[in-house]
Amino acid sequence: MLEIKNLHVEVDGKKILKGLNLKINAGEVHAIMGPNGAGKSTLSYAICGKEGYKITEGSIIFKGKNILELEANERAGEGIFLGFQYPVEIPGVSNMNFLKAAINSIRKYRGEKEMAAVDFLKLIRAKAAELEMDPEMLKRAVNVGFSGGEKKRNEMVQMAMIDPVFSVLDETDSGLDIDALRIVADGINRMRNPEKAILVITHYQRLLDYVVPDFVHVLSNGKIVKSGDKELAHQLEKDGYAGLGIDENAA
Amino acid sequence: MNTKNYFSGEHLASHFAAIKPQLPGADIGWLEVLREDSMKRFLEIGIPGPRVEEWKYTNLGLLKNKSFNVSENQIDIDAALIDTLTIPDLTGSKVVFIDGYLSIKYTNIDKNEGIILSSLNDFVKNNPDRSKALFNNQQSVGGLSNLNLALMTGGYVLLIDENIKLAEPIQIIHFATQAENANALRTQNFIEIKQGGSAQIIENFVSLNQNFKWRQNNTHITVAKNASLEIYQFQNESAEMLHMAETYIDVEDEADFKHFSLNIGGMLSRTELKPTLIGKHANIELRGAFLGRDGASHDVFTHMKHMVPEGTSNQVYRGVLDKGGKSAFQGRVYVAKDAQLTNAEQSNKNLILDRSAEANSKPELLIYADDVKCAHGATVGELDQGALFYLKSRGLDHKAAKALLVEAFVSEVFDDIKIEPVRQKYLTLARDWLEHGE
Repeated sequence: MLEIKNLHVEVDGKKILKGLNLKINAGEVHAIMGPNGAGKSTLSYAICGKEGYKITEGSIIFKGKNILELEANERAGEGIFLGFQYPVEIPGVSNMNFLKAAINSIRKYRGEKEMAAVDFLKLIRAKAAELEMDPEMLKRAVNVGFSGGEKKRNEMVQMAMIDPVFSVLDETDSGLDIDALRIVADGINRMRNPEKAILVITHYQRLLDYVVPDFVHVLSNGKIVKSGDKELAHQLEKDGYAGLGIDENAA
Repeated sequence: MNTKNYFSGEHLASHFAAIKPQLPGADIGWLEVLREDSMKRFLEIGIPGPRVEEWKYTNLGLLKNKSFNVSENQIDIDAALIDTLTIPDLTGSKVVFIDGYLSIKYTNIDKNEGIILSSLNDFVKNNPDRSKALFNNQQSVGGLSNLNLALMTGGYVLLIDENIKLAEPIQIIHFATQAENANALRTQNFIEIKQGGSAQIIENFVSLNQNFKWRQNNTHITVAKNASLEIYQFQNESAEMLHMAETYIDVEDEADFKHFSLNIGGMLSRTELKPTLIGKHANIELRGAFLGRDGASHDVFTHMKHMVPEGTSNQVYRGVLDKGGKSAFQGRVYVAKDAQLTNAEQSNKNLILDRSAEANSKPELLIYADDVKCAHGATVGELDQGALFYLKSRGLDHKAAKALLVEAFVSEVFDDIKIEPVRQKYLTLARDWLEHGE
């Protein structure tokens, strides 16, 4: 589904990713772990098409298509979703209108008709209930005045509504208490499906107790230095990055 | 007067002499005197230049050599056009001005006990004493107001008696045609809401002119004890219009005054709002947005005067400036020595969408009391790139994402409007403007 080859990315002239390779098949959940500054967020932004992330070498092929030529919104149209580490507050735009605009933009990109208002309402109520979100929060401005946990839960509601083929979740677990973590993990697990794939980026092993990955990769200094199964995450938890011979402060 | 800061309006004096006989009420002695005195006062000062502090962002040099004719006879316009300018769901009175004259054909005034809504010209004819009182009660006003008094062709008068509450908002349409012989539109309005009364007014300024026109619309308002008045203005005139609107408001004890405005059109718009809190616990809210591009310039000047204790005032203005757009917000808040426990807030935020745009913001606080709360904030910034990416990552293309963010920025001003079709009209006009951008 997704194949990243020899990816080199620069931000503000600084080389962050230095030849990263990663292949993710449909039905798989991959986790990427790594110390601060290893390039985890850069990878997620490069996949999703954030401006300012300059690809100097390599390719990202998604469902047979070179997505590096696509704008961020076009990548969303192709079925890629990014769960933000720091969801952005948008004063004046209600969650409801935001999601309606998102869903209909993606439908338009795919040449589909807009979703009927009544179907949209049904869907959003159902998804909010599944993720235990207070329906009142749908009327509030996107993420404005939301707690850290509420913001992450909101990301999960968006993911459930948009129903992407491939999701990148960038430190979705950071700043969550145990209840919020469980809800977020449930949200991710609901997306597991033989036709879909998920890339979980995390600093800690904690989330992986709830979302059990098929593959775990360690990212350090712009490259994947070790890959394995879920046992690798446990090993990291026990021995730390140093146990793998990785300098935690190497950026 | 410091003449070097002003330039002469002599050419307007000769124009005044020539057209005086055709101005409405030319046969009414006291009105003629009023017009002549006003012209004299105007000439003593002249037209303010950019060195006058209040006009530093607005260059009136373009008025130096132009002549300004008033329309001699009324031009009829298509009824369908009037329909597009009114808000259909509202059933209250409608007053239509075409090129500065009241149109009898399209004006439709409900008769109600305790409410007088009349054209200024009829009111002057039928109620000379009350008219004289209205004009005499005017505050001492600046040079351009005097010009308006000298050359006005009409306006409206709204008088609401004690404890009378107007059920439906009044719609007022100021329309300018393409007529080339009419390039000055000067109207003068009076509103008095007596104790415990209330009214809502929607004012819509629209024009089709393709040659230069100068509109001056001045309004004098009194809101008496426990009374309330809300005014909703829309200005969407053609790019050849110089639009000026000055409003003076006296607000008494426990009275409420709210003013909403949206300036989109015109080559240059100048909105002046000068409320004076003369009674305790008066409350004033001024909210507006201005959107400019392609050489359009919007200038909002407010002068909030807290003369007595325990008044509250709140000003919220949002500007959006795209390629070639310019704006200025000057917000003066004066708190007199006796006006203790005043609570005055002011906020002006501006969004710059293109490097060629310009936004000026100048809060001016003159506080002579020592126990007051006065807050002000002014910002000029660009679109939040983080929010833009967030929206794009959810599928919105660049244009849609930008439009959603700008609309949210502007709509904040209009969120609290209770008359839903009015709120919708503000949002629709703002959205249309945004969609016409690049």
